Amino acid sequence: MELGLIAIGAGLAVGITGLASGWAEKDVGAAAVGAMTEDPSLFGKGMILMVLPETIVIFGLVVAILLIFVTGASV
Amino acid sequence: MFGRKGKGGKGNYPYAVARVKAKKAQLMGEDTYSKMLMMSLPEISRFIGESGYQKEIAALAGRYDGVDLIEHATYSNMANYFRGVLDVTTGELHEMLAAYLEKWDIWNFKVILRGKSFGMDADSIKEDLVPAGKLDQQALERLLSMESEEEIIAAYGRVANVIFPTELISAYEESRNLSELEDFLEKDHYDSLLRSIDPSSRPTRLYQDYIRKEIDITNVETILKLKAEGIRGEEVMKYIIPGGKQIDKKLATQLANAESLSAAVNDLAPLDFYDDIKNALDETNSLRSIVAGMKKYHIRQAKTFSHLYPLSVIPIIDFMIHKENEVNNIRIIARGLNSGLDADVIKELLVI
Repeated sequence: MELGLIAIGAGLAVGITGLASGWAEKDVGAAAVGAMTEDPSLFGKGMILMVLPETIVIFGLVVAILLIFVTGASV
Repeated sequence: MFGRKGKGGKGNYPYAVARVKAKKAQLMGEDTYSKMLMMSLPEISRFIGESGYQKEIAALAGRYDGVDLIEHATYSNMANYFRGVLDVTTGELHEMLAAYLEKWDIWNFKVILRGKSFGMDADSIKEDLVPAGKLDQQALERLLSMESEEEIIAAYGRVANVIFPTELISAYEESRNLSELEDFLEKDHYDSLLRSIDPSSRPTRLYQDYIRKEIDITNVETILKLKAEGIRGEEVMKYIIPGGKQIDKKLATQLANAESLSAAVNDLAPLDFYDDIKNALDETNSLRSIVAGMKKYHIRQAKTFSHLYPLSVIPIIDFMIHKENEVNNIRIIARGLNSGLDADVIKELLVI
């Protein structure tokens, strides 16, 4: 039972942060493509800004790993 | 959840604003105008042909030269920019921009109607069109191909969703005087522009305020110009556009009835842009400087608002105002140099 709840928690951590990343990247990506259309030299800057919201899902993944391997191992 | 609102959604603000900001970064600065004042007309043509106007200068260089080339190339460039921005926007944002750019449809309609009433041929009229609004070149050419002015008015009403009052049309048919028709279109434009803005969010409320201030400025300009011509009272009130922010009917009447230009300017003391007019008055005491002062104030307002709400319609309108201003400044320099005006006089006319 407890292991099942931990698995649900880990899934939610990755799922919700994944949605949040997508939500943030939607606007950043659109703006980056817009800027690059006008000035292709902005590709590098656009790419960096585009991947920044990815950190949100990475944090979610870290939380999920901790839940499964640290909390899950002690159950 | 994903920002959809109404038929076309809220609009693609991040994409459109990023593109517009990149375009705005390429606009000319104050130093460039000073440099252009030192050039001859062919040098200006070459200079703008090497900056953002290369495509238009290259396309038109075979047909025009001197000041005509600069005028046609700048207007054509502005039309391409504005239509480009309109084409990449969607939803509510597109609707708001289309309503803002309707002023160019009105401009083109006036050009066509005036050209036809003076018996000009279609090719000459076509050269003066600026297809920067909702109506593209094809739609304008369809209007141009019509024989009678009545047909053009009816067709414009259909394509631009304007309902002309029947008494206005019959008055025009009798007198062939375009001024009342033009006045009606101007009022209708601001009315539909204000109606296109949904003031439910802070940026759109700011945009609405901005348009209402533009109405104030247009009204003040009209009052002062008519006053300088010696026209006062009710005759002036006919041309006042309703919906202004600070100038209501009472203040407009007061201004219209003022004894002189300086008395009218004193009545404007409580208004936001008074300081800009006051400075202009101290310098030269001319209507031209007062109008330039108001335009400077208006441009400054757009710039301030655009920094407050980066993901709204305001940065796009700010770009359009600056682009139009750049085109006007280049035309002022070209016309001024062509007329042999002194560089200092031309500089005073520029809105920087």
